[in-house]
Amino acid sequence: MARYPSRYSALSLLRKGATRSNWPRAWRHHELKSSYDVVIIGGGLHGLATAYYLARNHGITNVAVLEKAYIGGGGSGRNTAIVRSNYLTPEGSAFYDRSVQLYEGLTEDLNFNIMFEQRGHMTLAHNDASLRTMRWRAEVNKLGGIDSKVISPAEVKELAPAIDISDRPRYPIHGALWHPPGGIVRHDAVVWGYARGADARGAHIHQGTEVTGIDVAGDRVIGVQTSHGPVATPIVINCTAGWSTLIADMAGVQLPITTRPLQAAVTEPVQPFLDPVIVSGTLHVYVSQTARGELVFGASVDPYSSYSSRGSLGFTEGLAGHVLELMPGISKMRLLRQWAGLCDMTPDFGPIIGPTPVDGFYVDVGWGTYGFKAGPVAGEQVAAMVATGAIPELIASFGLERFEEGALTAEKGAAAVGH
Amino acid sequence: MTSHRLPVQPGELIDRDDLVDFRWNGVEHGGFAGDTIASALAAGGVEVFSRSFKYRRPRGILTADFHDPNLFVQVGDEPNVRAGHRRLAPGMNVTAQGTWPSLEFDARAANRIVGRFLSPGFYYKTFISPASLRSTYQRILRRFGAGGKIDPATPPAHAGKRFAHPDVLVAGGGPAGMAAALAASHRGARVMLVEENHRLGGHLLYGGPDAAPPLAELCAQIEADDAIEVLTDSVVSGRYDHNWVGVVERHGGEEHLVKARAKCLVVAAGKIERPFVFAGNDLPGVMLSGAVSRLINLYSVAPGTRVVVATANESGDAAIADLERAGVEVAEVADLRRSSSQLVRAIGKGKLEAVELSGGRKVEADLLVTAVGWTTPTSLLNMAGDRPVYDPAAARFLPGDLPQDVLAAGGIVGDGPVESIVEHGRFVGFEAGRRALTTRAAWQRLTPRAEPSDEVAAESTDIPELPAAGHPELFAGPTDGFVDFSEDVKGSDVAMAVAEGYDSMELAKRYTTATMGPIQGKLGGVNAVAVHAAAAAATIEATGTTSWRPPYAPITLGALAGVDEDPVRYSPMHDWHVANGATPIVAGQWIRPDHYGDPSREVLNTRSNVGIIDASPLGKIDLRGRDVTKLLDFVYTNRWESLRVGAVRYGVMCAEDGVVFDDGVTARLEADRYYMTTTSGGAGRVWNWLDEWLQTSFPTWDVRTTAVTDGYAAMNVAGPRSRELLERVASEVDLSAESFAYMNGRVATVAGVTDCIILRIGFTGELSYEVHVPAGYGLHVWQSLLDAGSDLGIAPFGLEAQRIMRLEKGHFLVGQDTDGLTKAHTAGVGGLIKVDKADFSGKPELLWEGESGAPRRLVALQPVDGSVVPPEASQIVDSATEVSRTIGRVTSSRMSPTLGRSICLAIVDTPYGEGGATLTVRLPEGRDIAATVLDHHVHLDPEGERLRG
Ligand SMILES: Cc1cc2nc3c(=O)[nH]c(=O)nc-3n(C[C@H](O)[C@H](O)[C@H](O)COP(=O)(O)OP(=O)(O)OC[C@H]3O[C@@H](n4cnc5c(N)ncnc54)[C@H](O)[C@@H]3O)c2cc1C
Repeated sequence: MARYPSRYSALSLLRKGATRSNWPRAWRHHELKSSYDVVIIGGGLHGLATAYYLARNHGITNVAVLEKAYIGGGGSGRNTAIVRSNYLTPEGSAFYDRSVQLYEGLTEDLNFNIMFEQRGHMTLAHNDASLRTMRWRAEVNKLGGIDSKVISPAEVKELAPAIDISDRPRYPIHGALWHPPGGIVRHDAVVWGYARGADARGAHIHQGTEVTGIDVAGDRVIGVQTSHGPVATPIVINCTAGWSTLIADMAGVQLPITTRPLQAAVTEPVQPFLDPVIVSGTLHVYVSQTARGELVFGASVDPYSSYSSRGSLGFTEGLAGHVLELMPGISKMRLLRQWAGLCDMTPDFGPIIGPTPVDGFYVDVGWGTYGFKAGPVAGEQVAAMVATGAIPELIASFGLERFEEGALTAEKGAAAVGH
Repeated sequence: MTSHRLPVQPGELIDRDDLVDFRWNGVEHGGFAGDTIASALAAGGVEVFSRSFKYRRPRGILTADFHDPNLFVQVGDEPNVRAGHRRLAPGMNVTAQGTWPSLEFDARAANRIVGRFLSPGFYYKTFISPASLRSTYQRILRRFGAGGKIDPATPPAHAGKRFAHPDVLVAGGGPAGMAAALAASHRGARVMLVEENHRLGGHLLYGGPDAAPPLAELCAQIEADDAIEVLTDSVVSGRYDHNWVGVVERHGGEEHLVKARAKCLVVAAGKIERPFVFAGNDLPGVMLSGAVSRLINLYSVAPGTRVVVATANESGDAAIADLERAGVEVAEVADLRRSSSQLVRAIGKGKLEAVELSGGRKVEADLLVTAVGWTTPTSLLNMAGDRPVYDPAAARFLPGDLPQDVLAAGGIVGDGPVESIVEHGRFVGFEAGRRALTTRAAWQRLTPRAEPSDEVAAESTDIPELPAAGHPELFAGPTDGFVDFSEDVKGSDVAMAVAEGYDSMELAKRYTTATMGPIQGKLGGVNAVAVHAAAAAATIEATGTTSWRPPYAPITLGALAGVDEDPVRYSPMHDWHVANGATPIVAGQWIRPDHYGDPSREVLNTRSNVGIIDASPLGKIDLRGRDVTKLLDFVYTNRWESLRVGAVRYGVMCAEDGVVFDDGVTARLEADRYYMTTTSGGAGRVWNWLDEWLQTSFPTWDVRTTAVTDGYAAMNVAGPRSRELLERVASEVDLSAESFAYMNGRVATVAGVTDCIILRIGFTGELSYEVHVPAGYGLHVWQSLLDAGSDLGIAPFGLEAQRIMRLEKGHFLVGQDTDGLTKAHTAGVGGLIKVDKADFSGKPELLWEGESGAPRRLVALQPVDGSVVPPEASQIVDSATEVSRTIGRVTSSRMSPTLGRSICLAIVDTPYGEGGATLTVRLPEGRDIAATVLDHHVHLDPEGERLRG
């Protein structure tokens, strides 16, 4: 058990408040050493969770997480934080089911309240075809022991009274896939909780440290070049999501990934009126209400490759139109802020986790629009893979080689808008 | 309640003859037309307008304009209305937000007692265990949420949008913006001038008597200038790539979006006065100098009776003059330009009672006015890629490098008397006009047949400097106060975040939520940066601001959505279907008949007599040109060069990854004229796909594509007597089996309608003809066919019957029997893949799939017990393994009325898909049944005798 410099609890909070003393740093500054046992590139959720589990589960603590800007500044600080496990393929749902389990215990494990609110996840069906897909997902989920079922429009209305289930021509609601354990989490808290936990167990988190090159000798990794000098290491893990192909290039590894912007937006807060996360694949939109009362909206990825994280006006117009189609009563709510993040899209909407042709160079990428919910389980499994040298069952079907063998996974139907 | 209304002020905006009644928290109030909600309430003696978000502290007027964080109220069913900006309207029902049970007694104010324990990140550190209580905590915490109420039953308020194409768009209607607009217009540009407030004038509006003459003159000039379109109570919400600019026009609570392509954007947004961070800075009675000037000069409201003014600039000095003129007793002026003078704290319980100044001196007062400097509204510039630079001498951020099509004018750039500001605006406007006209001329040269444009002077104007005036760096005083009022974040919270390791501005912002509320840091953003810099022992320059993201001001979803533009499509025969008892079904954008009562009977009638279905939703594309066959050869997997005139061929389209994405037939009607049909859902997608290839890869090919889905109504007559039927109504075509064989197409006259296209194809497996007629004649032809066939037993059939019949024939439906991974081999159309063709979309992948073998395959499946129809999506499991492993799923299933048994299509892992194999299907209810795999996809008439006859 790690010893945090100071454990968080309501009691310790009161004590600090009474004495007005400061909390210690949640994570520390360190000098960049000239070598580490493991170097993780990318201080997003995946990188930090991997560092945490390397230390927690395997006692590997001579680890550096190198982050070019600040932790959580990539997708991990820009996503809409939907967590669920009702995926379409058996391998997908087993994997995400483990992640939901980890999320459920994370607040206590990290001693950091990540505010996981399991208010349910609802995917609407507006026509026959999508109702059929919902049934398909429900059947797969049922076999995998995941709480997921098809519900009627009346049940939709009961769970989310703001939704218009009236009979109208264009996007009537025929039913929904209902997934009670799904919900939202406070994304920054997850990132910070892992960072604090990894730091307490000995990992070094280096912010403002950009990797500029990867040193390969023969077919082995031997180190990385950074904006603060070279670091020798036998193991490099690429956890850079939207930037992952740039990093892989440095090691001479090609990934079947394109980077696309994904936009999101948030409204001004109002009093709580919407409990579950609502998704409509047909309308390309999803919405949830945060604990603070804001509505958070998202959609599918932009239709072009780009590294720009600027939002567009057209996106907000389409979004508003679609949201009002679902909830006509909220037309007087106001959009407060919009933004975009980068998504590393694979052809089959599945991640790429595992070794590469370069020895010691691992990837945990291809997280597209759905990788936040996967952070805990990916960190746990990647740590196990690196520590034991064997590929754990849960991630066996996500290897890079599947693109050569043609054994793609088929999550497009469940991941394209649902995230 | 005592009235705080002053006698008539020279520039007041209120109309004292027009009384307006409204309600505030259930109590009747009165105000004047021209009042804002806040000014009317303040005139009526209201001091507390809201409770703060976290500590539930009472809050009063701070800025008295759009950006006032303390003046969010509910108006009827509209939440989060800004009472410092929204004008009073008769009968308004205004209530304070989130203050259960009342504004005066807020139960949650108990929270204040533990306030000192509510450090930033409080939530992260508590409610950790026990886990079992966490959802209860969460439910309670949500009740503390900020903001007004939404009633989901509110009628939708969608408002129309419009486009605008101004040469120059000016954001901000103060003196600089007005001058810029005038100069650009003199230069020949068409100008759109957008002002957030209800009137033009910016700070001149509330600038007292001295500001009136220059304001009147500018207004008169603008009024007289027809080339300037003025939008007041409107805001430039965002600047996007290529100067695509969003403007929100407000009419009270109603908003309209204007989308403008500005050739040049001038940002003349002025300066926003920032609060000072000190203890008690949020007490009702503590205001910024601008608020005082607005209340007195615009609304004739006395903001207090006895005032202390802490000023470091001319805005504070002006407020003193206003206060004196209004007869408010000025108890003390602390001139913060002198280092000896300090503002220490505001004292009071629930409202201001006294002010503590340097040396512990306390002065009794019910009003404290601060004037300590500005936050620069660089948001729009930032969206254009600019990184504002901090100028310590001016104690504010200033614009950095701007792109060619964006200029900044006036107070956002520098300071000076009105004349210098106007002068600067004029130069910027003149230059903006020049740049815009240069762009206009360049665009016109690209437009064929456009009027030649005027020559534009190439010389750019040098814009004189407008230096920012020196200002002391005043951000926080010696005591702790609020940095962000809407989020209830104090300076010490930011410092604590830094100490805990959240030591970059972005992390501290996220941890404390400073600048993340509805005001988005516009008011005190620079204070947060300054406090952060001080705590991290860094400079403000190095700390920098966080990025500004659109929109500049919040926009209603109704305005963004506009009127619903998503069309619903009906075929020309729709009314007939309704009149004849059809049950409708939504199919993509179309509403079409699912059935007319009994789908099984429709199937049997079609198989034995003749049926007719409305197939208008089919995608239809007219293709012309010499190179159409080349295009077909590229987009379909099979071969097209041999297609003769009069022939029809079926084809499958694959994306580049080999996955099936559409199918349909194409007919060659004349040497260079082809007619393609696509799936109903794929109509738009396929048309885009063809054009994308033509434009990106084959620009020299002679092919023109025209989407004619709506141009033709389509109907399919199917069944053994369909030829007989068609012969009665068609002319100029020989329908005999010899001259019009299966998979042929002709242009013919049907029921007197010329230019109809008849395709002899058969999705249902019957002898059948698809008749495409110009849409306007759809109903006529439909009716004629029905009339002509009454003795042949003709009856309409719907989508459901068609689905049954196609399943009996084993035809797959793209998207139902295929999914995002189904390549052509998997779908069982390997015979249609001609890998010896030079190239086609998906070829490498299909070549590979062909060689390595498809991992899954589509098969026809028949349950052993033919009375059981396994629901679509039923899983197929490998019952041999211990934990049931999924090896496939049922993609389509129906009871076949023709065969009297259940039939299915399924996708299964290849090793399980051999003909004759018996598989286990798990029904959703949990029961397992056995089903047999067929050798082929066809359940009925595998030889196709019905079809070809
Ligand atoms: C708008 C949006 C909404 C989303 N919604 C959801 C959702 O609801 N649910 C869900 O599960 N997922 C969602 N996602 C996806 C999810 O955010 C990502 O998959 C996930 O955050 C990836 O985490 P990561 O740690 O792998 O990458 P990131 O968080 O992107 O971290 C990568 C880090 O690498 C750093 N880096 C890059 N290059 C270098 C270098 N050369 N040297 C050092 N550091 C470098 C970056 O600065 C960055 O911090 C969403 C994404 C977006 C953009």
